Amino acid sequence: MPGDGSSSAAAVWAVLRKECRSEWRTRWALNSALLFAVTSLTAVSFAVGRLGDRADVLAALLWVVLLFAALASLAHAFVREVEGGTLTLLRLVASPTAIAIGKLLFNLLFLGLIEVVTVPLFLLLMGAPPPSWPAFLGLLALGSLALAAAATLVGAVISQTRGRGALFAGASFPLLLPVLAAAVSGTRAQWAGGPPTAELRLLAAYATALLAISALLVDHLWED
Amino acid sequence: MIWRGLLLVWMAAGILAAFLWAPLVPVLGETTRVLYFHIPTAWVTVLALGWSMVHSLLYLRRRDFEHDHHAAAAAEIGLLYCIAATVSGAIWAKAMWGSYWNWDPRETSIFFLLLLYGAYLALRGAIEDPERRARLAAIYSAVAFVAVPFLIFVVPRIYFSLHPDPIINPRGKVDMDPRIRLVFSSMLLGFTGLFLWMLSLRVRVARVERRRFIES
Repeated sequence: MPGDGSSSAAAVWAVLRKECRSEWRTRWALNSALLFAVTSLTAVSFAVGRLGDRADVLAALLWVVLLFAALASLAHAFVREVEGGTLTLLRLVASPTAIAIGKLLFNLLFLGLIEVVTVPLFLLLMGAPPPSWPAFLGLLALGSLALAAAATLVGAVISQTRGRGALFAGASFPLLLPVLAAAVSGTRAQWAGGPPTAELRLLAAYATALLAISALLVDHLWED
Repeated sequence: MIWRGLLLVWMAAGILAAFLWAPLVPVLGETTRVLYFHIPTAWVTVLALGWSMVHSLLYLRRRDFEHDHHAAAAAEIGLLYCIAATVSGAIWAKAMWGSYWNWDPRETSIFFLLLLYGAYLALRGAIEDPERRARLAAIYSAVAFVAVPFLIFVVPRIYFSLHPDPIINPRGKVDMDPRIRLVFSSMLLGFTGLFLWMLSLRVRVARVERRRFIES
């Protein structure tokens, strides 16, 4: 760990490595998030059966599963620090920006891992391979980026409230509605055979806006 | 005092004119009258949100609790107006479109505002320390500030909407009957005045609460 409190790449890398290591020691957050995602996926698949030709339902179900998996797990990165009483120490050794970027990267990685398991399983169970892989993966990547950006900032705020995790889903959801709307409509367009250009642009713009405002606000996150 | 009395007379006259004097639009029929209540409340919903967000940003910059009082008060009153706009819109939708709720883009964006107000106030309720509450609520408000344009302006442009747009669409404005326009703009003004009055009351209460907190 660098002790200069800088927000340099080294500090970000150190925060990310520390996150991964402490997650890997117990893996309970990852395991429970994966189990949750697979459970909700199974419930959905079991309830509706194969839907290979229903682009609208497919897109909605995929993003609902991903959204819920994210809402159930992404507050963890900050709540863990507060509950373990380690946030003060972390703040001593790293700048708020480094912490925020490190946690954001960790959340992205976390979401990526969930998707690596859930998405292929979803495509398999529903019997619906995407007609255009670049568009599909692009939507998935940009959607995850926006999801992680919103979740990281809200997680940092929510970890300082009473009841910690309890408010996370409720507070994140309004911010994630644009992501949900654009991602579902883009994924649907992609399955229906059209190019989801407008949606990709919307997701990219929204993710950029979220990251920019996060960068501006990060210094106000912890003061006491 | 004089302003309060004036507001009372103004609103009463507006309501009477809306029901008795203003003419009806052919297709809309009796539902025309929702125009004088639904659009002003929707306008105040957005105004209150903007008010709350601007004061949140100012709070982060200046750390003056006066801004926090304004941000919180505007959000509380905005929620009230948001509910009024949503309910009046849903009733109108039932009369004109045949169902209370259909996820029309306009319905989506007002519902989103409802969620946002709710989340903001729930967040405030979950933090005890006033300084921390003000700061974290302001941060949340600033993030929401980024999300709002996407849902209010971008999403309704992408998806097809049945919602009539007498304010944004200039053709509708030209077609508006002069009497409708008069009642409509006075109600717009009246509701804005009502909002400002409620806001000043709530801010004054917040100041008293703050003073008592410091004394205790």
